[in-house]
Amino acid sequence: MIILNTETGQSHQVKIEAVVSGDFKKITKRRYFFDWKEEKDQELYKLRIVGTSDILGLVSCERIPEEWRVHIRLLTVSHENKGIDKKYENIAGDLITFISKIAVREYAELACVSLKPKGVTAQHYIDKYDMNITGATLSIEIIEILNLIKTYDHD
Amino acid sequence: MIKKKRSFKVKEGAEYGVDSRYSSKKERQADGKALMEDRLQRMKNVSTDQIIRARLLQLKIKMEEYIQAPVYKNHNFFTEFLSSYIDTVYSKRSNFAKDIDITPVRLSQVLNNHREPKEEFMLRLMIHSEKTYENVCQFQKKTWYQVYYHEKICDTMSSQEEWRPNVEKHVNIRKLIKA
Repeated sequence: MIILNTETGQSHQVKIEAVVSGDFKKITKRRYFFDWKEEKDQELYKLRIVGTSDILGLVSCERIPEEWRVHIRLLTVSHENKGIDKKYENIAGDLITFISKIAVREYAELACVSLKPKGVTAQHYIDKYDMNITGATLSIEIIEILNLIKTYDHD
Repeated sequence: MIKKKRSFKVKEGAEYGVDSRYSSKKERQADGKALMEDRLQRMKNVSTDQIIRARLLQLKIKMEEYIQAPVYKNHNFFTEFLSSYIDTVYSKRSNFAKDIDITPVRLSQVLNNHREPKEEFMLRLMIHSEKTYENVCQFQKKTWYQVYYHEKICDTMSSQEEWRPNVEKHVNIRKLIKA
C-alpha cells in the first residue's frame, strides 16, 4: 500500500504492523487524538513509511467470528495528517483496507468490516468508502471490500 | 454558530479519527443483530464471480502470510494452497489438469504428496495464476515458488533431529580455522 505526499505528489510504500509495547511512549494523545493506552489489550496496528519509524496512523479492531465481522474500534491519523493541510493522503484508507484484508483472510466472501462513527463524520465514511448504513453502524461487505482493495492495495 | 462549526469540520477533516468503540457487550450484540439482518439481504446480491474473487483474495493473503512467517511444522502448505486454488476456480480438478496440460493422475499425485511438482508444473501454475488473478488483485509471479521453497526450508529445519545424525557421518570437518 502507498500514501501520497500532498505537496510533491510523491508516493511512499507503507508498512502496517502490530504496535509493540515500546511504541506507547511515542503514541501521545496530543499527536494521535485518543488515549491509545486504553487499547493496549486490543488488536492494534500502526502505519509507517517503509524505512522510517514515525507512526502516521493507528487502528484498533475487534474480531467477531460469530458474525464474520471485524469491527474497527478506534482509528486515527497523526496530527499533521488531518484536515486540508495534511502532509500525506490515504492513511485512513490504507488502514481500513488493511482491516478489510484481515476480514477477507478470516471470512472470505462473508467478510464484513464495521464502524460506528459519531456525529458528522459518518457521512464522510459513507461517501468515501461506499459504506452501507444500518442504524448508526456503517459497514463494508465483500462487494465494497473488493473495490477498496483494488483501489488501495498495490502489494 | 452553526456556520462556524461546519467550517471547522471541513478544515479539520472528518478523517482524523473515529472512535467507534461499543460501550457495552449488549450494544455490540444489538448492533450486530441488526447489521446481520441487513447483510443477509445484501448477500443475495453477491455473484458467483464475486465469491470466487473473495476466495482467491483470501488464498493470496494466506500464502503471503505463510511466506513471511516461519512456520516450523510438518504440514503440506503448498499442496493445501494448491488444492484450495484449484477448487476455487474449477468444479472438477481434472479440468485444471487439462488447462495446464498435465494428466489428472500426475495432478493427483502432486496434490496427495506422492510426487514433487516438476519444473514445468510450477511454471504452468505460475502463468495460470498470473492470468487468473489479473482482474482480482495484484499477485506476485514468484508466490507459488516462494511457498514451495519456504515449506522445504521449514521442513528441513524442523526435522534436523531425524536427518542430522546420518548426514553428519558424511561430513568431514577439517580444522581449517583455528578456534
